Amino acid sequence: MPLFKDAALAQELFGDLWTKMIAETQFGKELKEAGITILFAVHDPDLSMYVDENGPLFGEEAQEKTPVVTMKMSLDTAHWFWLKKVNIPKALALRQIKAKGPVGKVLKILPLLKPGQEMYPDYCRKYDLPTE
Amino acid sequence: MDYFDINLDLTEEDLALREAAHKFAKEVMRPVAKELDRMACEDVVAEGSPLWDFLKKAYELGYHKVLMPDHVGGMGLSPLQVHLVFEELGWGSFGLSVLLAVLGFPAFCAVLSNDDELIEKFAIPYCECTDGSIRGCWAITEPDHGSDHLGLGEAFFSSPDMRCSAQARLDGDHYVISGQKSAWVSGGTISNVALLHPQIDRSRGIAGSGVCIVPLDLPGVSKGKPLDKIGQRDLNQGEIYFDAVRIPKSYMIFEPDFYPEILETILGFANLCMSIFSTGLARAAFEEAFSYCKERVQGGRRLMEYYSIKQRIFRMFSRVETCRALSRAAANLNFNVSPPVAEYSLVAKTTATQMCFENAHEAIQSLGGNGLTKEYLTEKLFRDARATLIEDGNNETLDRHGGHIIFESYPRSRDEI
Repeated sequence: MPLFKDAALAQELFGDLWTKMIAETQFGKELKEAGITILFAVHDPDLSMYVDENGPLFGEEAQEKTPVVTMKMSLDTAHWFWLKKVNIPKALALRQIKAKGPVGKVLKILPLLKPGQEMYPDYCRKYDLPTE
Repeated sequence: MDYFDINLDLTEEDLALREAAHKFAKEVMRPVAKELDRMACEDVVAEGSPLWDFLKKAYELGYHKVLMPDHVGGMGLSPLQVHLVFEELGWGSFGLSVLLAVLGFPAFCAVLSNDDELIEKFAIPYCECTDGSIRGCWAITEPDHGSDHLGLGEAFFSSPDMRCSAQARLDGDHYVISGQKSAWVSGGTISNVALLHPQIDRSRGIAGSGVCIVPLDLPGVSKGKPLDKIGQRDLNQGEIYFDAVRIPKSYMIFEPDFYPEILETILGFANLCMSIFSTGLARAAFEEAFSYCKERVQGGRRLMEYYSIKQRIFRMFSRVETCRALSRAAANLNFNVSPPVAEYSLVAKTTATQMCFENAHEAIQSLGGNGLTKEYLTEKLFRDARATLIEDGNNETLDRHGGHIIFESYPRSRDEI
């Protein structure tokens, strides 16, 4: 049973999270400086999220973009990733997370996402998602 | 010698990187490699050896961090740029190229681990180093386990009967490591930090291994003598011994529960590097033969006028282009997807090493008796190329592994990537 009951819930949560990360942290600026745009293609339930320094896009709008890095994973894996409970090298090696884009850029994204990982537990409480 | 690149989309930056790397390969690597090649293996790493000045120059110019991403201080090159630079280094000296690559293996894997502490401790200082004083190595093979350490997917790989020499056991917050790694550890006797593959869970055989970073100044570490060998004599190799060496648990970056998969990833990167260096060596051999055959008069005619020489030179040229096209395509794939698609690194490595060996062989044939003498580069290229057929997994083992993957996964779906 997926943790997110539907894609709409995920879109609402992550839409707010990405927007807040860009507004309140250096995330957007650092993304732009690094020349990185990201497409998160998650499944179960399916949702495409494209993020650049201007904010997030979802669904068809996201799929029309050409990202520098694409990351594919289940929405459950994404949830645990944001809670810092995923061993990234292990998840990549086991293909639980698949990344497309220059390896250097992929490795560079991970530290950029840390401010969002700090905020994510608050969203779990708000949307009644498990943290353990 | 410059070459025509069939990729017409190279940018000014790409071309500048290639030119700078070629200048370094020609003016620094080749003379030093020639000198080191003729020295006793102990003298290669002795105080006053030209190796140390070479490393200082290489570190000053950043050639020790070609693979490292820019957020930790690496060169942050694109996959194509890595290829352009590595081909030139391979052209300059295969052995010194391998050395420069393995010196950064612990730092590179620290970045792969995504662990802040390890990145801070091992990756950033390595990238900041400009004097060659921080040197890593890749310690995987053992006296009783060579290419079988890469026997992924085979029953023996997971057999409890496969007992490794290097063992790690958890003791509180530390791992305690004992045993040894083989004389084939590149950079083994001159490194001060190792990327080590010890066995942790014997019940799983070699598959029960892990990958850790071990500072080599810890109590209990000792080293063997430098290895004396036929080729790549400029590449230092030698044993490392561990006697109850204690490392923090956090230094064990990859554990047995996903060891086979992470080994595939590491091997994928290593094999790619080998294929690119081999392209450089294949080109070096081609150029030696080409230049000689244009000048040398034999039987009243220049060699290039002979029918058989034209055929041979074209075969050699074809191999260079094949190596470059294949290794570049594999690099473009596997430096752009995580995890890498292993069979493409394997086919690039086995094909490019075989072709560079054939080119080195035919370069000697082209030069005739002169090709066997120390006066010409060809004999060194031949000896260096011979080692590539065994290095980073002998080609027969890699072919076997490639076949295993093909039977498991062919044809791959694009969704898998």
